Amino acid sequence: MSKLSFRARALDAAKPLPIYRSRDLPDLKDCVSINRAVPQMPTGMEKEEELEHHLQRAISAQQVFREKKENMVIPVPEAESNITYYDRLYKGELKVPKQLIHIQPLGLDNEQPDYDMDSEDETLLNRLNRKMEIKPLQFETMVDRLEKASANQLVSLPEAKLLLNEDDYLLKSVYDYWVRKRKNCRGPSLIPQIKQEKRDGSTNNDAYVAFRRRTEKMQTRKNRKNDEASYEKMLKLRREFSRTVTILEMIKRREKSKRELLHLTLEVVEKRYLLGDFTGEVLNEVTVPLAEKPVYTAPVTLTNGNRHKAELKTKMHKTGLMHQVSIKDEFPFDCVRPKKKYSKRDKLYTQRRPGRPPSQYTVNKADIKQYDFHSSGEEDYTPPLSPPSEPDEENDPDGLFAFRRKAGCQYLSPHMDQNLGVLWEHPELAGMDALRHRHSLTALSLPSRLVGLGRRRMGRGGRVILDRASSGLDVVLKQLDPDAFASPVSRTRDINRLVAQRASMSSGVSSATAASSFAEILNNIQSLRWHCFRPRPAQHQVNEGSRMGKPSLDGRVTSSLLLNTKNNGSGGITEEQYQDHQQQLAQMQKQQLAQLQQQAATPCSKQSSLLERHNIQIACYSECVSKTLDSASAHFAASAVVSAPPLGHVNNENKPHKTSVNGVLHLSGTSRPPHSATLSHSGAGISGRVSSSGIGGPLLPTHSSSSLQSLPNHRNHVSAVSPAHHHHSAQPSAPSPSALKLATVATTLDHVPKVTPASTISNLARENHEPERLLNGISETTMAMEVT
Amino acid sequence: MAQVDVVEGCRLPVLRKNQENEDEWPLAEILSVKEIPGRKLYYVHYIDFNKRLDEWVTPDRLDMKKLQFPKKEAKTPTKNGLPGSRPSSPEREVRKSLDLNLQTATAPSRGKTLPTPNGTARRLMASQPGRKRKANCGGTDEDSQDSSDGIPSAPRMTGSLVSDRSHDDIVTRMKNIDCIELGRHRLKPWYFSPYPQELTTLPVLYLCEFCLKYLKSLKCLQRHLTKCNLRHPPGNEIYRKGTISFFEIDGRKNKTYSQNLCLLAKCFLDHKTLYYDTDPFLFYVMTEYDSKGFHIVGYFSKEKESTEDYNVACILTLPPYQRRGYGKLLIEFSYELSKVEGKTGTPEKPLSDLGLLSYRSYWSQTILEILMDLKPDNGERPQITINEISEITSVKKEDVISTLQYLNLINYYKGQYILTLSEDIVDGHERAMQKRHLRIDPKCLHFTPKDWSKRGKW
Repeated sequence: MSKLSFRARALDAAKPLPIYRSRDLPDLKDCVSINRAVPQMPTGMEKEEELEHHLQRAISAQQVFREKKENMVIPVPEAESNITYYDRLYKGELKVPKQLIHIQPLGLDNEQPDYDMDSEDETLLNRLNRKMEIKPLQFETMVDRLEKASANQLVSLPEAKLLLNEDDYLLKSVYDYWVRKRKNCRGPSLIPQIKQEKRDGSTNNDAYVAFRRRTEKMQTRKNRKNDEASYEKMLKLRREFSRTVTILEMIKRREKSKRELLHLTLEVVEKRYLLGDFTGEVLNEVTVPLAEKPVYTAPVTLTNGNRHKAELKTKMHKTGLMHQVSIKDEFPFDCVRPKKKYSKRDKLYTQRRPGRPPSQYTVNKADIKQYDFHSSGEEDYTPPLSPPSEPDEENDPDGLFAFRRKAGCQYLSPHMDQNLGVLWEHPELAGMDALRHRHSLTALSLPSRLVGLGRRRMGRGGRVILDRASSGLDVVLKQLDPDAFASPVSRTRDINRLVAQRASMSSGVSSATAASSFAEILNNIQSLRWHCFRPRPAQHQVNEGSRMGKPSLDGRVTSSLLLNTKNNGSGGITEEQYQDHQQQLAQMQKQQLAQLQQQAATPCSKQSSLLERHNIQIACYSECVSKTLDSASAHFAASAVVSAPPLGHVNNENKPHKTSVNGVLHLSGTSRPPHSATLSHSGAGISGRVSSSGIGGPLLPTHSSSSLQSLPNHRNHVSAVSPAHHHHSAQPSAPSPSALKLATVATTLDHVPKVTPASTISNLARENHEPERLLNGISETTMAMEVT
Repeated sequence: MAQVDVVEGCRLPVLRKNQENEDEWPLAEILSVKEIPGRKLYYVHYIDFNKRLDEWVTPDRLDMKKLQFPKKEAKTPTKNGLPGSRPSSPEREVRKSLDLNLQTATAPSRGKTLPTPNGTARRLMASQPGRKRKANCGGTDEDSQDSSDGIPSAPRMTGSLVSDRSHDDIVTRMKNIDCIELGRHRLKPWYFSPYPQELTTLPVLYLCEFCLKYLKSLKCLQRHLTKCNLRHPPGNEIYRKGTISFFEIDGRKNKTYSQNLCLLAKCFLDHKTLYYDTDPFLFYVMTEYDSKGFHIVGYFSKEKESTEDYNVACILTLPPYQRRGYGKLLIEFSYELSKVEGKTGTPEKPLSDLGLLSYRSYWSQTILEILMDLKPDNGERPQITINEISEITSVKKEDVISTLQYLNLINYYKGQYILTLSEDIVDGHERAMQKRHLRIDPKCLHFTPKDWSKRGKW
């Protein structure tokens, strides 16, 4: 056998090796044990150590005995496991968790001081504790801070004072102690630490320097692409975070100003109360100049959103062009008018320019845009039309709410005598003739009686205010049976909800003949020449209710509106959509109106009996409730609450149809134009709702023919409408505590749709329910506020 | 008997007790002399004994009659006034040569000092020769070139062990900690560990059993325990069976613990280097649970990405738990991880004596287990390839071969290689397996390997 034949084949790891037991190979001894062809594998040990005595002994022992022998093992230094105080040292027990232990990647390590007190420190602590209380942890924290601030040189005492913010005596004691201890300390720090490498390379061969950074050969090449991507992601994340911060900052600011506003409002009301300015005269005087320049709450702008700016630009651009056209785009109601202007003007209209139709309010697209801006992340959204708003403000104090002629409307010239102002300012008009011209007989359903002459007018916040006029006929009138007018009522029932606009009201005056005697009045009434308001009997209402109560439809409308809003939010809005939206809004307003009318009838009639005096209570009423609310939506919410409670419900709309007694009786001659502004008397809630949602007078006629519909739910309503509400303007008024609460609630309601989409802070959505709760809670107490 | 003559480098027989508590006089080398009030102490290294047995001895244990003075070419590194360290720099080399007036062949005027792609800075920080564990790894990278011509360079940045001891200085050659108290145990360190220098003079260094923080006194430990609420290693538990658990700790994410663990481990691992940070390593800590918590028994570290198929960097069973099967359990676990990864692996070299014995034992038992389980197939003699063994066990092919060689199983018979199982091998294996109670149950392992190449490794 030549050696070559053995060497010819190397051990092939891929080749199967048959396994023999040695008993199967009796001739194994003959067979040469060949390891030559197999390269000798290194043990993996260092050569020097491989030869060490104990290892060799152990290896040979294993070779011989095939198992470990006790005296052949490699000796090692001893270890003891008899620490007796172990249980005292490691206190407490740990129950083994069922699950495998999983630590959070970013553990919530509450920062504990790295410094651990020693017995020397304990002595000091005991000494200090005689004078003051200092806990070991406190001491450790102090030393820890001192140590960590003394990287290169010791912290000085003034620095330590800044650093520690402790009592002077304590600080001084600890500081002095620390300085002394540190000087005696042999290490570089009182907190023992592994020596750090120095940049200059002087520590490269220091055995005590460990865990040096691997500065070279960083493996970046492989991950470069990945790094870029994640860098971009980080940038994006940062941007989004900063955006969130901005939004939150804005919210904070807004809420602050709201609080301020409320405080100011409260102050104004207090001042007014002290002044005895119950009629608002002083306020008017003071605020008229202010009104010239309406407060316009700037929309919240995000620093990183450039769309809004772009829109502003387009708006400016289009202003000139759009000015005339814009009328078309305007809603006949307004959800966004600045409050300040609103209430004031309202009064002015009623008192000084009664002939003028209530101002038109417009939802301009800017407002919708604002909403949209917040709700959508789309950057390139441009509304199809942009009516002018701000640019006009300087020249036209009425701004958005300036009177604009509406196509298809008849505008009649004002009556001179009505232009003269409020009644009590003109004693010469105090006679019966004047009264007759401006007031109508008014009846209440509960208690069922005539209350004498009264007139209805629109108050601030859209409240319908009943002005009662005292006349010599009062005594006689009160004795009249309101049912005496029942038959004319039934005949004119269909138009009983026709609350005529003021322009047409005034025109009707001429047809009323002068009547100075009771007989004449009666005569007039009988011949339907003198309007008489009387609440509708209940049974009519039932019919009415069955006819109109279609909540499902309302739900649909509302939801479709919401849908639409959402569409606006998510994508571009087409003109068609916009028109749709407007129509829906209009329809909703109608529904609101109808609903309110029903709801408000009862409280109105119930409480109108309290009307003893002229106007004053009314002012009170509006002060109490409507004026306090600083935004349109506030009105809305407030009126919703205020009008609903007497009927015993807020959200449930099924019952009210039966319980609400009725709306308003309008005794008017079929042949004659309505005389309603001066003669009619309707439920406070009606116009409350109307104006709260920004419906102006001119709209009303169109409502009269439409069937009344109720909304299923106030909440839907609020959330659907409020997106359009944006202008919060200040209106000094006198809030009652609950009204304040209401206002807060209402404004909160107002935010929700605005904020949520923009900031995507989901927990804000919770507010949606909170105000709801609040509203319900408040409803009981707000009943009392229903003065009129 | 003041022995002025006994200086560093002297060799002489020194009395020590062997395992049978008998007196022996092995030859020893004086590494250091210190004077404490009243007497002198000598730090001796017993020749051909492992360094872990080095100790301070009193003069009466020295056999002065057989004293040998150091030869001119002192093999032992000499204290040269500099705080030496393992990776000595070229400057140090220069200074050393000046100080000692030695004609060194490694003059810095070699051509290799020319600027390299890595620049002179690297050259200045350069490491010493022989940092490579593998002499035969091909000389493709600079380090191995360095080692070929003796220019020192910084330790290579992969791996956790150093093999070349020739440049060990006196500081790292000597144990610096007397005693470590860890939980219930008092451990006598075996080797140097770079704990903060001010702590090395303490009679006992106290460690928190769970976070492994080092403290100078029992009082400090007490205080620390009021603040430390760890009751297990601060990582994810990826295995639990019975009282045995394994925790995975990322050296990058949990630096403090990883460093503390390395400092402790260094006390018992001669070749471990703490030169660089722990970022590229994962630490698998084996614990034993009792009502006080999860007590560390041992651990092994592992490179997140190994270019050399290493599946273990450092591995240690703490002394109180040694010789009870835990080491084999650790090794078994490391191969289970490799099985999940679908790779074969091998421990980083050099192995220590105990490491070699443990690994050989594990490999032998694992391979024999497979060989003996093979049943005859259709009356044919069972056969298996080395590659198959490697795949089944995740033991690297070379280790399989070396084990087969070590067990003397490979024979050449009738023109082919065969594996022969002798009686004593079989018997020995069966006896050993009966004693091996602790096993890893792969079903209890909840481990998903990560592709570290796609992550920031360090």
